[in-house]
Amino acid sequence: MMGTRQHYKAELDALQARFGLRVASRLSQASEELPHDLTERLRVAREQAVARARGLRELSPVPVAVAAGPGSLALAPPPSWWLRLASALPLLLLVAGLLLIQQLHLREDIHAAAEVDAALLADDLPPEAYGDPGFVAFLKQPER
Amino acid sequence: MHRSASGHSKPLATEQELAEFLKSTEKRAFKRTAYAVRDEDAALDIVQDAMIRLAEKYADRPAAELPLIFGRILSNATMDWFRRQKVRQAVVRNFSELDAGGEDGDMDLLEALEAADPGSSAPEPDDSLSRGQTLALIENEVAALPARQREAFLLRYWEELDTAETAMVMGCTEGSVKTHCSRAVHALAKALAAKGLKP
Repeated sequence: MMGTRQHYKAELDALQARFGLRVASRLSQASEELPHDLTERLRVAREQAVARARGLRELSPVPVAVAAGPGSLALAPPPSWWLRLASALPLLLLVAGLLLIQQLHLREDIHAAAEVDAALLADDLPPEAYGDPGFVAFLKQPER
Repeated sequence: MHRSASGHSKPLATEQELAEFLKSTEKRAFKRTAYAVRDEDAALDIVQDAMIRLAEKYADRPAAELPLIFGRILSNATMDWFRRQKVRQAVVRNFSELDAGGEDGDMDLLEALEAADPGSSAPEPDDSLSRGQTLALIENEVAALPARQREAFLLRYWEELDTAETAMVMGCTEGSVKTHCSRAVHALAKALAAKGLKP
């Protein structure tokens, strides 16, 4: 009795599967006969999705395959702290150089101003004379 | 053809694999959705939406996992559409349409399936129907199935997922999948036999 029932169930399952696959085959035939405009819209949708995935992949970091020896490929190890420091070194040198140049210019300006001040103070003419309108007019005379 | 879900030890899908997967499945996905929503434009929108969701969130998963993930996304996108259409009650009603099963019913099913089997001595289908008409009639009967039965049937036999994979996509138990499939086959066999059709 049990054996008969199991046999019946197995036969039923097999028939169901065969029937299901035959219907699916007919549905596949029908899906291959979709109108051209529908297949084109599906193609455009697919291409948009693939382009979206490509854009997202380009934005996110991915492991880079590098040659690890003859005939083999391996994933590149993540950069060490020393390598990261070394890659930042040129930038640090540039900033330090700019600061040095700025300091040199500042020193030169101070030095030049000090020389002018010293010359003025060491001259016989007092610096207040340059504030006198009469003396300025005298200096502007072409011939003295 | 298949493929089972697994961990991330498998190689990740390349752009070409993603494109090839979508190309291989897009027409079936469209048809499946069109049977459910009965609106070609809406079905196209849903499939496009599912493709974009797959590309945005799951394109970096192993290629072998894409069919299951896409199946689930498509089902969810279809449900979202029904929610937006405010016809969820109709869907839920369809979901709960369960035929009363039993051994007598199984005997009817066996007879119907044997009659539908090409090797049987049952009468030939109506020769006056063109191939296109036959396909259209079969599609109509598939579309007329209750939603869950149709989904289980199409995932098992058209997408060729196994019972466990179908249950994962549908978010139900394997037992429910078997029940839905059996009832779908039963209903289709009866409906096609009534029209004198063999699939």
